[in-house]
Amino acid sequence: MQYQSQKVAIPYFVGAIVLFVAQILFGLIMGLQYVMGDFLFPEIPFNVARMVHTNALIVWLLMGFMGAAYYLVPEEAETELHSPFLAKLMFWVFFAAAGLTVAGYLLVPYSTLADITGNELLPTMGREFLEQPTITKIGIVVVALAFLYNLGMTILRGRKTAINLVLMIGLVGLAVLFLFSFYNPTNLVLDKFFWWWVVHLWVEGVWELILGSILAFVLIKVTGVDREIIEKWLYIIIAMAFISGIIGTGHHFFWIGTPEYWQWWGSIFSALEPIPFFMMTIFAFSMVKQRRRNHPNRVATLWALGASVMAFLGAGVWGFMHTLSPVNYYTHGSQLTAAHGHMAFYGAYVMIVLTIISYAMPLLRGRTAANSERQQTLEIWSFWLMTIAMTLITLFLTAAGILQVWLQRVLDSPLPFMAAQDQLTVFYWMREFAGVMFLIGLLLYIASFFVGDKEPEASVKTIA
Amino acid sequence: MTATTATIGCSSQSKYPSGDLAIWVFILAELLVFGIFFAVYAFARMNNVELFNEFQQHLDLNAALINTWALITSSYFVVRAVAAIKEGNSQLCVRWLLAAIAMGAVFLVVKSGEYAHHFGQGINLSTNSFYMFYLSLTFFHFMHVIMGMVILAAVAIKAHQGGYSASDNTGVHTGASYWHMVDLVWLILFPLVYVMR
Amino acid sequence: MFMYGKHILGIRACTWVYFFLLVLSFITYLVGQLGLGGLEVSLLVLFFALMKGHLVGLYFMGLVRVKGFWHWPVSIWLIIPGVLISIAFYLAN
Repeated sequence: MQYQSQKVAIPYFVGAIVLFVAQILFGLIMGLQYVMGDFLFPEIPFNVARMVHTNALIVWLLMGFMGAAYYLVPEEAETELHSPFLAKLMFWVFFAAAGLTVAGYLLVPYSTLADITGNELLPTMGREFLEQPTITKIGIVVVALAFLYNLGMTILRGRKTAINLVLMIGLVGLAVLFLFSFYNPTNLVLDKFFWWWVVHLWVEGVWELILGSILAFVLIKVTGVDREIIEKWLYIIIAMAFISGIIGTGHHFFWIGTPEYWQWWGSIFSALEPIPFFMMTIFAFSMVKQRRRNHPNRVATLWALGASVMAFLGAGVWGFMHTLSPVNYYTHGSQLTAAHGHMAFYGAYVMIVLTIISYAMPLLRGRTAANSERQQTLEIWSFWLMTIAMTLITLFLTAAGILQVWLQRVLDSPLPFMAAQDQLTVFYWMREFAGVMFLIGLLLYIASFFVGDKEPEASVKTIA
Repeated sequence: MTATTATIGCSSQSKYPSGDLAIWVFILAELLVFGIFFAVYAFARMNNVELFNEFQQHLDLNAALINTWALITSSYFVVRAVAAIKEGNSQLCVRWLLAAIAMGAVFLVVKSGEYAHHFGQGINLSTNSFYMFYLSLTFFHFMHVIMGMVILAAVAIKAHQGGYSASDNTGVHTGASYWHMVDLVWLILFPLVYVMR
Repeated sequence: MFMYGKHILGIRACTWVYFFLLVLSFITYLVGQLGLGGLEVSLLVLFFALMKGHLVGLYFMGLVRVKGFWHWPVSIWLIIPGVLISIAFYLAN
């Protein structure tokens, strides 16, 4: 850490991990409700647990991105952050808004929440992933604007690098596209159409820029490879992400009432979406192979490599599986979608946030390069536990999805939805156990911040 | 001048194509996109031969020929631009690049005329599968022509400022390679969509 | 195989290629203008197109001078869609 103001990243990272825990706990609750329908009913109905699970994910990833940006932008720009105070203030605004929103979800019925937050003045609620009350959405916009202002001023004053540029484009895109969450036409087709402009163009568009720039930053740091080479890769990857991902939005437009050409556009372009992820994998591994030094923070390198692989598998391979419209005709909205969603979010975005946390946190907490040997060992364990658990979750959900599609959509006399679900119980149980394994991994991850943090730093020698 | 140095633009063998290797990775990715699009066109046609054959006749072959010639000529001009910079002649390089950009502009104008004609008849992406493919493919390529012209213009500006020399001209090669790719794609697109039946 | 003279690799070669491309395009145009169709004609036109692409790759892009891996991508790119298109046209007739 070279600049004092980078420290504002700490609360963002901590807040992110707190919400991460909440996300996983609610995931486990839901997982159990799949097989024990009345578990925690009526206190936490399934739809509420799902809302908390998904919203907590999105918010903690956003927090992670913000923390990452506050950490890496000053370092890249070689100047202090424009306003550390504004960054801290915005953290608390954001965290409070997130807490209040989750409390609102849990304490009152959703319709009541809509009433007391004045949803009828500007109706934006009630849509998957965008369930937040309108005032929370406005809060997010305010936080995002302050955040972009703060970073923009920092970059303008300092050195302009490709990483900062790409990151800023990603973050500005993120903020601009979020504005579509305020557009809520009564025509259901239009509603869904623009809803994807937020959801898809985030995760399969601008977020990939954020992912790419964080990955590039960490790789420069841990491998010592020339910035020029890394930036070149970054440019190619984001160009491919845009070529494939923007029109690739069409793979969500197959069955919502849009014109037929979306079947073709969506299929062809989204079929190419694995390419940037594949490039990212090649990129990460070849940079590590060409490394000029062995960085003592080997776990950060592990996360970076892991993110590139899991993102390719989860977003690329599992996405491709059901992206062609003739396939999607059968698989749409089945457990296959859930399998893809889990591994893609974990591989692409959870792991990249954990990568930057893993790289930055030791420095932010006063280490010169890395955590102690013991901390790193623990974190490596957590890496494998969480990653293997997520792989299992994905595989079990994939099996469930294939069976579900078969029973419910392919058979000559298809089963009704709930009857098909009954046949999937065994997979849901296995998924739940894998979920527990994930939680254990997460707890180990948190433990790695505390266990052994008084011990001396790991050095390169002990690793070689 | 020996025979070797006289081979302007092509002095020796190498392991890598001229231009930045990054642009080549990008070119391959772009070619892949177009390749998939072409194959999908052909297989979609297979299921609808009569429709494709019928509406293909409504396309303007004269415009397509002019455009093919325009792009080939433009590509050739770019070859000359590369040769010029290899001799260290920046201003000649700029002139060839401008000529190439002008041919790109010819392409855009002619293609826009075709679009105007189709749209004037009320044809759009939903008219039928043939027009869906015709409009998608050509428009996707159209965007690449614009992109290529922007790249060539950037190279021309830098060349005009003396940013390249006989020994340092990777940027010119990079822009040139991208532009040839745009040409290459059209060379397949033209017979596939306009002629083959 | 590789000659370092003007004739194969130089600007003059590119000029000849250029004229050849113009002519091949004109033939393709004539085929269209005369309304010729059918599998054989289509495949011939496709073959011309692939040949043109090959020439652009070798001479304009300069891949003729490149040895090893990077010599091939454009040629392979031409072959794969070329084969797929041929199959589709074959099956359609």
